[in-house]
Amino acid sequence: MINWTLYKLGIKGIWKMLLIFAAVITMYFVVIISMFDPALGSALDEFSKAMPELMAIVGMNPVSAELVGFLEAYLYGFIMLVFPMLFCILSANKLIARHVDRGSMTYLLSAPVKRETVAFTQMKVMVTGIIILIFYATLIGIVDCEISFPGKLDIWKFILLNIGVLCLHLFIGGICFLCSCIFNDSKYAVGVGGGIPALGFVIQMMANAGEKLENAKYATFFTLFDSDGIIIGESGAIWGMIVLFVGAIVLFSTAIVIFSKKDLHI
Amino acid sequence: MAICEVKNLTRDYGNGRGVFDLSFSINRGEVFGFLGPNGAGKTTTIRHLMGFLKPQKGYCTIGGMDCWKDRADIQKTLGYIPGEMVFFEDMTGTEFLNFMMKYRKVKTNKRIKELMDRFELDTRSKIKKMSKGMKQKIGIVAAFMHDPEVLILDEPTSGLDPLMQNRFIELVMEERSRGKTILMSSHIFEEVERTCSRVAIIKNGRLVAMDEVEKLKAAQVRKYVITLENEKAAAAFASEGLHVSEVSKNQVTVIVQNNIKELISVMNRYPVTNIITPNQSLEEIFLQYYGGDKS
Repeated sequence: MINWTLYKLGIKGIWKMLLIFAAVITMYFVVIISMFDPALGSALDEFSKAMPELMAIVGMNPVSAELVGFLEAYLYGFIMLVFPMLFCILSANKLIARHVDRGSMTYLLSAPVKRETVAFTQMKVMVTGIIILIFYATLIGIVDCEISFPGKLDIWKFILLNIGVLCLHLFIGGICFLCSCIFNDSKYAVGVGGGIPALGFVIQMMANAGEKLENAKYATFFTLFDSDGIIIGESGAIWGMIVLFVGAIVLFSTAIVIFSKKDLHI
Repeated sequence: MAICEVKNLTRDYGNGRGVFDLSFSINRGEVFGFLGPNGAGKTTTIRHLMGFLKPQKGYCTIGGMDCWKDRADIQKTLGYIPGEMVFFEDMTGTEFLNFMMKYRKVKTNKRIKELMDRFELDTRSKIKKMSKGMKQKIGIVAAFMHDPEVLILDEPTSGLDPLMQNRFIELVMEERSRGKTILMSSHIFEEVERTCSRVAIIKNGRLVAMDEVEKLKAAQVRKYVITLENEKAAAAFASEGLHVSEVSKNQVTVIVQNNIKELISVMNRYPVTNIITPNQSLEEIFLQYYGGDKS
């Protein structure tokens, strides 16, 4: 079901992108963690008090004064949503739609390799990328916290938070990959595959902004990643994660079936 | 025995484009020429044979297997040169050929080396910096590297210089003598004349004609454009009873089948300043043979 030669080619194609995203994530983690002050709260909390609405839009209002709550509020409300999402959009396009659009898919299919295998392998490449990115963020978070504030981080809760964000991005990746398999044109694959998660994110920001629009949260799958709930320890947050994960499997499976059955003008 | 069969293949793109009720078959060990003007449906047919498109009606088979359902199995013994060469980004020729070898699970690179020598191919540079001819050569090597039984070649010599075209024709003839079955679309008469045993021509998605190349050659019609000193001489020349297809100013276009001597004797009596034989496309020759635009 997987072609390792193609898998290697795929990884070779995305590692530069991964490196850039990892560098950006490292920078944000280091800067934000350095702002934590266990005694006084952080400088960022002052912002929250001064501009509660603006900070709420980007999810930056801590539900817990602990270090893990601090990371959740300032890194997992925006940075860890937007950058892996960008990776999903770009890599999904690169792995399928771009090959079809340019015509290089011809070479992948004029060989005794099933279309299902090609799509499954490319999906594997993308999932590997997402896992590496989130795993790296988890690692850098733990290491930096242990160096700066030894023993302060609730590591298990932080890992759970990252599993949650991983489920979210697998789901987003599923949407992007599905669009990459449906559309023969790169621009539509990026437009629709990137547009849906981006819209979902904007709706979530609106829902965060105020009471009037709070119900908008039911219109976006981002609500299923309940990072506040994970920190507080609500069981609903775990269910959200499970729904996202199952959704991701459905999306990826549908994408592979569609790619295997469609007409290719290559 | 038919190794490749296309039966009632139909794909309607609307506006008269696509292929309609197309049927033909290719026997084992045959080199089959597939001709037609641009947009006639050659590439659409080839895409069906490759399993990229699902027939709306009809079917096609290679080696008894359905081209859509069994496409991956068919590919084991199939070689393909696409009409347009697009490779993966940012790869050298060597990297690409190594990738294809591993991807196809080809055990030995002996054949690759042999083909690279034959076409004097240097694969060390980045593909995107290569000339069209170089890319074409890489496509040729990729199509023949696993010594396939059936070859589908979509304008395989485009971009090659005459020397390399010749080497390619030699390769095709060798493969034919080894019993390989080849479908080749082409525009070059010499190429088809030297390699193909049968030719099919399609136009507007329909089969216009199909026959043996020997017959075509026997009935080959030639065109000569004769330039005379002035228009008056040209008009007189045109009324000599030769098969004249066109007169424009001081140029007369004459169609000759077997009466070349007659043309020469007439030319002797006129102030001829130049004579040229324009390149006729294969379709043109073929359609003349079949009595012009009967489609």
